[in-house]
Amino acid sequence: MTTTLEQTKTAAIPQGGGLARRLNMLTAMVGGGLVAWLFWFLAHHFLDPTSRTYSDEVAVSLTIGWIIGFWLGIGAFIAPLRWVTGRDNTRADDLYLAGQGQGTSRYWKFTTDHKVVGVQYIVMTMVLLGAGGILAMAIRTELIVPGNHFVNQQVYNGFIAVHGMLMILALIVAVAGPWGNFVVPIMCGARDMAFPRLNALSLWTLVGAAALLLTTLAVGSLTMGWVVLEPIADQAGIGMDFFAMAIIVFTVSTTVAGVNIICTVMTMRTKGMSLARLPIFVWGAIIAAALGLYAFPFFSLVEAQTLVDRTFSTSFFVASGGGAGWLQANLFWLMGHPEVYVILLPAVGALFEISSVMARKPVFSYRTAVAAMTGLAGLSILVWAHHMFTTGWAPTLGGPFMLTTELISIPTGLFFLVLIGTLWRGNIWMKLPTIWMFGFIANFIIAGVTGIYLSDIPLDDQLHGTMFVTAHFHYVFVGSVLFGAVSALAFWFPKVTGRFLNEFLGRISFWLVFIGVQVTFLAMFVSGLKGMPRRYSSYAIIFEHSNFITTIGAYIIMAGMLVLLGAVITSWNKGEPAGPNPWHANSLEWMVPTPVPLENFDVLPVITEDPYNYGEELVRS
Amino acid sequence: MSTSTNKNSYKGLYWIWAALTVVGILIGLYAPAWLMPRSMSNNMHLTVLTMVVFSVAAAPVAAGVYATALFALRHWAHKGDDVPAPGPQVRENAVVVTTWLVVSTVLTVFLLIWGLGALAVDNGSNGKNPLVVDVTGQQWVWSFSYPGTHVQSNELYLPVNREVEFRVTSVDVTHGFWIANMGIQVDANVGTITTIHTTPDKLGTFNIRCTQFCGLNHAFMVTEGHVLTSQQFTSWLASQPQRA
Repeated sequence: MTTTLEQTKTAAIPQGGGLARRLNMLTAMVGGGLVAWLFWFLAHHFLDPTSRTYSDEVAVSLTIGWIIGFWLGIGAFIAPLRWVTGRDNTRADDLYLAGQGQGTSRYWKFTTDHKVVGVQYIVMTMVLLGAGGILAMAIRTELIVPGNHFVNQQVYNGFIAVHGMLMILALIVAVAGPWGNFVVPIMCGARDMAFPRLNALSLWTLVGAAALLLTTLAVGSLTMGWVVLEPIADQAGIGMDFFAMAIIVFTVSTTVAGVNIICTVMTMRTKGMSLARLPIFVWGAIIAAALGLYAFPFFSLVEAQTLVDRTFSTSFFVASGGGAGWLQANLFWLMGHPEVYVILLPAVGALFEISSVMARKPVFSYRTAVAAMTGLAGLSILVWAHHMFTTGWAPTLGGPFMLTTELISIPTGLFFLVLIGTLWRGNIWMKLPTIWMFGFIANFIIAGVTGIYLSDIPLDDQLHGTMFVTAHFHYVFVGSVLFGAVSALAFWFPKVTGRFLNEFLGRISFWLVFIGVQVTFLAMFVSGLKGMPRRYSSYAIIFEHSNFITTIGAYIIMAGMLVLLGAVITSWNKGEPAGPNPWHANSLEWMVPTPVPLENFDVLPVITEDPYNYGEELVRS
Repeated sequence: MSTSTNKNSYKGLYWIWAALTVVGILIGLYAPAWLMPRSMSNNMHLTVLTMVVFSVAAAPVAAGVYATALFALRHWAHKGDDVPAPGPQVRENAVVVTTWLVVSTVLTVFLLIWGLGALAVDNGSNGKNPLVVDVTGQQWVWSFSYPGTHVQSNELYLPVNREVEFRVTSVDVTHGFWIANMGIQVDANVGTITTIHTTPDKLGTFNIRCTQFCGLNHAFMVTEGHVLTSQQFTSWLASQPQRA
């Protein structure tokens, strides 16, 4: 293996690869289009057009065709087929697939190198955030004054469904995607992920799912919000079929990615890297991945049942056929609440890591941090019915679910203890990652306190289904997770690009987004407290001022995010150069050169202590 | 940066903490009643009170975190672009972790006990001959009927100081029946009747808005309700056309 590094340096494109040499994102789109057309053609000609479910059957056939064709066109099936037929990939084939010597073209291909996949995830996150953000701006523009003036209600309802789902997908991958792939294997001392081809598969499956989700806007008629409420979803048009299929495909992506991260950490750690010496971010990533493996099957299950209801006239969720909307709500929230922590935990893990490096101190009470993250993951699977307090389902379970929900505040409180304890009396290096981390702390408090109100049933009976809830979870997702994600981006950006994220633009972006979040969502709390329900396309005159302020705040957030985008683009190739270890950190990803060579390590390191010994580092240098 | 700290150097932290706690408590005491709709029932009094109590309880905790973050920015931020020297290499502090855990558990248990108590009061019926109102949601109107009277209306009329039992259902999709002035909310589900109680104790008009997304005109599924004196209510009931 010692020749690996030299091979990278010579950067010759290996001879292997076969058919994979000709495949990229373009062939994937063409393949997806062709097979989708084939499936549409077959469905169109062989299904009964007088059937009530005809259009849904055709839509589902088409979407299945799309994803199969997309997988074919990107080359996902080549290696398994070769393995089955006894002509397994050679070393040269694998090196070709890993992208050796292929420059930027490898970012458009089924490339197995975990660092390429990490960068692809950064881009995918930005694409999803951008698309969801445009919809958010459209929604806020509609709500700037009362009455329908910008888009009609039908379009507006589609916007809120697709905005919600795009942002959920974006945040699920925002930290775990880029950094779970780029840095976790290096942090563990591994040359790649446990299953490099599955890694590429998870990324390209996400691309296929995102394409389906964006298509829903074009085919339209979404009536069900992002939670796919039944029975209202039954009234939606074929956009609903695309929406549900996008979710099913997405869960395939997260399942594959989650298994891969867990297997990598469990089996690929280098000598001496005991679990207690793992960088804390690795814990955040694998606990979130494990929680995702529990949660996301409910997601695909509930959407599959919705599709079967729509295409085969079954009645899982249709009351007139003996089904129950409450069944849909239970299954959805069995996924939906753990999912919040699938989103949050990688960000929290990253912030623990960043607070330690930036304050030049060990993570305060590492074991408390691991226990809090694990405890939160465990509790989060027992709280789902707090989303259903006002539905009328099982009123006698209100007390027990209130108990589990309020217990959440104990591990969440420990997160603050660990962060504050790590910063306590440190020498805090005020760089971009640190600044965004402080933003997280400020916003996460508001998210937590307003969560306590909602956990209490008498209060929830007032606040449920209002803008108060919307503001609460936006403080969680935008105020907290997005701030954590940007902090992580600023922190690991030099490892990816060899350059710092522009400090000046980053700070302008921080202040715009931070102020924008307060303006937008504090005003949204006011709308909710005054009595404005969620998902309104228009509202009474008494909500006029708070909605106007919210819209102005939303524009400020957009300005800040555009500045951030500008910072990323200008810094990628032209930023201030950073060495291999610009933050003088001790974990393994900073010990390898930048750009990180294929297979990361020339010789695998041996670990003798955890990465938090800053005192000793001073002695060494 | 001196690593030896005498106790006095944290004075600033305590002052910020105290000041922010006072601000938090003031917001907690006044903001709910100021921002929320006029309270017109026993449930809504309890809702506002709960919000005040929780806000006051949360104020010192939130203020503590904010104060520490601000204090850290003021006193522990490293000036200059060079790499800061290592801070104190503290890895564990059992006393701090235990104290934090005990305090947060005590607070959580307090919230839970308050919540369970409030829940018992909130959902309780005093059983004294409640007025029954059948509530039906359909896209995108509410209709109310009064069993035993054949009266049906698209606006809700209630007598003051008499318990009401709403029996809520829907004929098409799920709707959310919410009286913001009375702190009560329950979904209207197809094929199921959900019940909810309240006792209006103020005269006046209120809005009923749908809180469960129900399609195209969800935002316009609004109607008015009125709390009347019992004489007014009786005469309103008598004046309505009787549906066979």
